Amino acid sequence: MGMAAMRALLLSCLVAAGMKAVAAGCPGADSEALAWLDKMSRSLNQVSYHGVVTLQRGGDMQVMQISHAVHGDSTRERLTQLTGQGAQVVRTEHPLSCIHPGHRLLQVNADLQAGRCGIAEYYRFSVGDGERVAGRKAVRVRVDPRDMYRYGYVMELDRETGLLLKTETIGRGNRSLEKFQFANLAFGEQFPETSEVNLVHEAQHPLPAGPSPDALAAGAWGVHWVPLGFTVTDAPRGSLPRRTYTDGLAVFSVFLEQLDREIRSGEGVVRSGSTVSYARGMQLDGRPVLVTVIGEVPINTARMVADSVRWTR
Amino acid sequence: MSERMRESLSALLDDEADEIELQRVLARIGDDPELRRTWFRYAAARSVVAGHRLDHLNLDISGRVRDAIASEEAVAAPAGGRLGQRLLRPLASFAIAASVAAVVVVGGQQLAGVEGVSAEGGQAVAGSVSPVGLVNSLGATSVQASYGTQPLPVLQPATRTAYQELARQRMRKYGQEHAEQAALNSPHGLIPFARVPEIRE
Repeated sequence: MGMAAMRALLLSCLVAAGMKAVAAGCPGADSEALAWLDKMSRSLNQVSYHGVVTLQRGGDMQVMQISHAVHGDSTRERLTQLTGQGAQVVRTEHPLSCIHPGHRLLQVNADLQAGRCGIAEYYRFSVGDGERVAGRKAVRVRVDPRDMYRYGYVMELDRETGLLLKTETIGRGNRSLEKFQFANLAFGEQFPETSEVNLVHEAQHPLPAGPSPDALAAGAWGVHWVPLGFTVTDAPRGSLPRRTYTDGLAVFSVFLEQLDREIRSGEGVVRSGSTVSYARGMQLDGRPVLVTVIGEVPINTARMVADSVRWTR
Repeated sequence: MSERMRESLSALLDDEADEIELQRVLARIGDDPELRRTWFRYAAARSVVAGHRLDHLNLDISGRVRDAIASEEAVAAPAGGRLGQRLLRPLASFAIAASVAAVVVVGGQQLAGVEGVSAEGGQAVAGSVSPVGLVNSLGATSVQASYGTQPLPVLQPATRTAYQELARQRMRKYGQEHAEQAALNSPHGLIPFARVPEIRE
């Protein structure tokens, strides 16, 4: 074992030991697993790497190149599709200090210190020996939902850095819905050359959260039920047509379209991998709307969320 | 347009389409201008034959399409061929065809729906049902998605299919906006963008 690996192991043991004491009040919370989760989330702000990632959904496989660099007090990321559309997504200058709600939920140490169980209330975590992924030794974290509103995951984390090397999303009946994994991985800040790119999209960044100025505007609406543990990802701004929620692992978005004519009530669903798109036409206080829920959650969750949409005035 | 597709389209208008044919047309009609033109022609021709005025359909049919309809009738009627026979059948499943076109032809840019036939249509059609709704991305053309002559139990699967199509369109429309949020709020970095059906600039 190299020095770096030794240090990493030592570090994770220390963190785990520290967390063990505070996790005691959370039944079924595996302190070692939670320590890995915490480390995984922070690794994105600590490690520069690039590699080839595959996404498998049903019989379909996509291949992409991922680059991630931590430089100074910000990170920069790039995804280049090597199959399919050949698009590239880039995010430049993302400040290290900018921790979005999803990551805050994974950094459970603070929750545990404060006597809260955080994400451990909604999932059961366990740690086991991982396989070798992209030539790296991995630790396996099994994530089982404690309710029917979310999926389970099997995650393989790099033993040394905590990087997430592989994620398999598990649906009901232990069915594999989707699998991401690194095929190779190299460390370093230098981004590899990219081959032909057909289109470049600059990833967006939400405006800083704050009081919503138009929360009382006409057409303001709200989602009145989400499963426990889900929190809104950015400041909901009144009549804006989208709300997004995360529990740290799963994310779903709700879109509302106001129609100017009647719609025959109904619902429709399509699924792709772990993603569901649920469209629901209905009347809200006599006003016809189409509500769409898109996200990596079971259909029933999407349906219940769509059901709870209301005008806020 | 393949012969098979023409058959499917025609079966759809005749209430003879099964779910597979409906799916086949749905899968293609959005990307196939010829298929759309043919649909309009068939649908409009049927409407004329069945004694409905075209304005009931609220179709803004260009002169070119009108000509096409005329020639279609000229060809079809005397020959008494399959198309001719089809054109003379009652308008049983027009609502299905309309719903398909309504939802798909237009690309879902603007969504609306109608219960029964609208006031301008002036014709209360018993049991007419409108499936989801419809759309307008063909410029001035607008289609009302409801035109049946009798209660049509067969419409249920079509409504289901139309809603499913709507869910598919919305996945394309909103997938990227969802991925923007997922990329910042789940442990996978930019990888959620790989789930987006089509990345836009």
